[in-house]
Amino acid sequence: MSTFFAEYAWLVPVFPFVAFTVLTAMGKGLKKAGAWIGTAGTFASLVLSLCIAAERLSGDSPDYSNQMDWIQIGSLKLTAGFEVTNLSTLMLVVVTLVGFLVNVYSQGYMKNDERISTFFAYVALFTSSMLGLVLSDNLLTFYIFWELVGVCSFLLVGFWFQKPEAKAAAKKAFIVTRIGDLGLFVALLLLFWYMPGHALDFTSIHNVFNDSQGGAISTGITTLIALLIFLGAVGKSGQFPLHVWLPDAMEGPTPISALIHAATMVAAGVFLVARTFDIFEASQVAMSTVAIIGVFTAIFAATIGMAQNDIKRILAYSTVSQLGYMMLALGVGSVTGAMFHLFTHAFFKALLFLGAGSVIHSVHTQDIREMGGLGGKMKITAWTFGLGALALSGIPPFSGFWSKDAILTAAFDKAPILFVVGAITAFFTALYMARLYFLVFMGKPREGQHAKESPAVMTIPLVILAVLATIAGFVETPFNGWFGHWLLGGQEEHQASGLVMVISAAVGLLGIYIGWLMYAKGTIRRDAVSSRVPGLVVLLERKYYIDEFYQFVFVKPLQGFGKALELFDDYVVDGIVRLSGHSVAALGRLNSRLQSGQVQAYALTALLGIIILILAIAGRRFW
Amino acid sequence: MDHLQTLTWSDTWYLAPEIVLSAFTILLILLDLFLPSKVNRNVIGWLTLAGLIIASVFVVLLLLSLGSEAEADSAAGSYSLLSGSYRIDDFGNLLKLVFLGASAFIVFSSLGTVREEDVPVKGELYYLILPAVLGAMVMSSSGDLITLFVGLELLSITSYVLVATRKRSRLSSEAAFKYVVTGGVASAFILYGMSFLYGVTGGTNVFVISQGMSAALENYEALLYISFFLMIAGFAVKLALAPFHAWAADVYQGAPTPVTAFLAVIAKGAAFAMLYRIFMNTVFLAFDSDNTMKNDIFLALSVLAAAAMIVGTVGALQQRNVKRLLALSGVANAGILLTPLALSLTEMHASLYSEFLYFLLAYAFMNIGAFSVLTIVTRDSGNEALSGFAGLYHRAPWTAAAMTVLLCSLAGLPVTGGFLGKLFILFGTVQTHTYWLGAVLLLTTVISYAVYFTLIRQMFMRSGAIDSGLLLSIPAAITIWICTIATLVLGLMPVPILEWINDIFSVSTDLFMLQG
Repeated sequence: MSTFFAEYAWLVPVFPFVAFTVLTAMGKGLKKAGAWIGTAGTFASLVLSLCIAAERLSGDSPDYSNQMDWIQIGSLKLTAGFEVTNLSTLMLVVVTLVGFLVNVYSQGYMKNDERISTFFAYVALFTSSMLGLVLSDNLLTFYIFWELVGVCSFLLVGFWFQKPEAKAAAKKAFIVTRIGDLGLFVALLLLFWYMPGHALDFTSIHNVFNDSQGGAISTGITTLIALLIFLGAVGKSGQFPLHVWLPDAMEGPTPISALIHAATMVAAGVFLVARTFDIFEASQVAMSTVAIIGVFTAIFAATIGMAQNDIKRILAYSTVSQLGYMMLALGVGSVTGAMFHLFTHAFFKALLFLGAGSVIHSVHTQDIREMGGLGGKMKITAWTFGLGALALSGIPPFSGFWSKDAILTAAFDKAPILFVVGAITAFFTALYMARLYFLVFMGKPREGQHAKESPAVMTIPLVILAVLATIAGFVETPFNGWFGHWLLGGQEEHQASGLVMVISAAVGLLGIYIGWLMYAKGTIRRDAVSSRVPGLVVLLERKYYIDEFYQFVFVKPLQGFGKALELFDDYVVDGIVRLSGHSVAALGRLNSRLQSGQVQAYALTALLGIIILILAIAGRRFW
Repeated sequence: MDHLQTLTWSDTWYLAPEIVLSAFTILLILLDLFLPSKVNRNVIGWLTLAGLIIASVFVVLLLLSLGSEAEADSAAGSYSLLSGSYRIDDFGNLLKLVFLGASAFIVFSSLGTVREEDVPVKGELYYLILPAVLGAMVMSSSGDLITLFVGLELLSITSYVLVATRKRSRLSSEAAFKYVVTGGVASAFILYGMSFLYGVTGGTNVFVISQGMSAALENYEALLYISFFLMIAGFAVKLALAPFHAWAADVYQGAPTPVTAFLAVIAKGAAFAMLYRIFMNTVFLAFDSDNTMKNDIFLALSVLAAAAMIVGTVGALQQRNVKRLLALSGVANAGILLTPLALSLTEMHASLYSEFLYFLLAYAFMNIGAFSVLTIVTRDSGNEALSGFAGLYHRAPWTAAAMTVLLCSLAGLPVTGGFLGKLFILFGTVQTHTYWLGAVLLLTTVISYAVYFTLIRQMFMRSGAIDSGLLLSIPAAITIWICTIATLVLGLMPVPILEWINDIFSVSTDLFMLQG
């Protein structure tokens, strides 16, 4: 097969970047047109990505990579380049497709915002960076883009910086993910140090670690590198214990939550682990860590999700939980399962967030207790949201069922305990989605609420995503392993397990049924749990007190340490700085005295200068 | 060398760039003379630009043809005319390209910004650039002390006139006078040194001198020392190395800003070309690596480089006049440009020339860009004080952004050409184990941040007296942006440029004159 389009893959991130440049250059003068420029840039990327994907669909296209020398210092060479594989093609399509739909949607959602062209500029920069990350052929450029998407996330979470919560959330998102970024950076340095020839490209990493018998790098170091890379992924993908930033990041505009904090950037952690999977496979410890952190995050976040009342926060915890599933898949060795779930999750979670945005746009509140009966007035939103919820809950034949089934099957084969926890999480997932759906769309409409359906520019992306959320799962079913074969060339065999399918569908349906009994029919009282064990509900509402714990254990002592350093800085460091500043200034004044303006003085200085030079340097030879 | 090799018709091809410049000079002098005074002299500016561009095209053609010849035969790749007194080689050609390009940018950006009230002889300002560049080209191409000196004087004398073109300004006349006097002193030093060299070696051709050096060292060691130190002193004045730099601030301040840029870039670069050519061919080539005199001379150059860096940076801290500030920054940069040559004292590090040329390129772009911005700001605020830049960001955000990039390059911050240029030179000091010089380079770089950030602070954090937008002439705007982009490109993609320089430049055929 040809690589005609793949050779131009570098253009994919360029289009949104051009849009970003134009938007920034033209600035506020653009208004309406700004939104169109941003959308057009992403659309161009989408078209090219689809061409690349079409070219590679047959599955036997060779991987294409191209790099150039970037910096050469002595014998050390750093390169920059891009690589098109089936994995990166998949990500290209996901990022550009969701990005494009979010752009379209934002034209309606952000219509009345003063800084709309700034918003689209940031979104374009984010899209460009994310695509650059996906295409990077080595860890160094990957890291640069990784940081860039972090910056964009910071800018967009804090987009409404007039709100103190948004400002605080932006800072929190940035600082917490930095902990992970530091891990990734140290891993990068270690790799640079230990890799033969200081190579940082993914192909060399694959070659070195795939052949662990070669012993180029010891097991201890391999484990350390893998764990540090995973720390980066934990930060970016909101895994326990660094998950705290993601729910707060919901202060950003809702389309951003859909694009960055559900479909693309948070999935970058999963993508990173998948991209460097050979390192993880070479270390049993690292694999177990990934699996355990993943499954723990999944159930942990799902339980918190049941007790939240903010529609976006529920979805945020759900995202954390679903990312946990992906990590679990990686930890039990199923890259296919992880990428498959990333693929379907991108669609249905973006759909759910955009649907939530449509609801918020209409009723101007985020508290689900203040909503109700919206299904009648917002038919398209309600129907598409329902489809997304079914996909997330893992009800067959929706896409989420197939991808979750792939993960649970892999976990079942590896360690039944992981499967059991995963299945319980699936039950909780269905339950909190049922709660959310029934409280928002069913029941009696609230008085004084004048909900109406959002404009077509917002509902059309919902419909497209709903279709995808429904059918995207069919690329990989137990009866048809096309996706896994395409992605990894058939390295993994998907073992169909009827038992797993039945259990996974059953817990999902059970969760919805109980949710229906509690929140729609009312057979079970809503306070059935909270009246018996009130402490548990409070614990969940307060998110296991993790934020308070961090505040007390890390933030306060660090602030104290900061104060001490500030004193040291004020008196000791600044003292030295002032001293050196004064001495330099004194030297400068001396120079000014030489600069008298008298040309004869200049000539005299020159003469004296050369005499001193001769005496000092040449004269010592003759004495 | 019994009889002098004469010029033939076929040699005109090799001299084409120089011939073009001479022809344009004569034509433009006549045109300026016969053109009615009503006609705007910008037409002469455009013709000057055309001359510079045509000459550059010829230089590029020569570079390419030399390159293909060098591929065929590694000993070829250079041409010697008039018994080695004039040489066409890649060392000279690359520098000529820098000089011609830099002059073209300077002329281009000054079109439309030079005012008749300030410079009554606008035509002269433009066309006198041509013989000055011609002088610079002769300096980078000569292999004989006499032709080198002729080139130097052609450049110097034209520059004296150029500095004086603000005829109604007392500052300008004073600057020109000071420049004549100090320039004369420098020429005297150089000529005196050269005459000793001729006396003890018996030749004016650099190749002949290098052959006679070891004999001269045995018989006339003291005279040889005197000769080289006199030349060092002369070049130190021309290059404005400390403590020979005091004239620079006065002259830069008095001259019209385009001429200041010309002095900072072309005049300085040409003096460097001459210094590299003479010292590498004589001192370095003729002596063994552990020769005491050779070590002494290169040590003297290192000391001068360090002194220039320190004095230039520290002096710039005190300046409130932007032109004087840039003059002193030029002193510091001259120290940096001298460093690769001074480092030869321990061992030949092969990247000497690419280090020098890379920084010279970066230096040319950042200075021309910065001086173009300065021209516009000065014209707008009426003076050259730092405060003229106050609030520039609010009046012309894009120009302020471009200026910030250029200043970051001057300060040596990534990702600019200035940063990488300094970095390569720093690597050179490490390679040759001259750590103290590297330390001086680092330290002065840190201090220089204070200098350049004073300007940046003015642009972004002070509010200026004027609120209206800044009037940009189109050529100046284009020049500023080309310089800014080139600065960034040099900072982002050094490898292609370095590889290109290394590809065409070979020390043995291009700098040394082994075959005479």
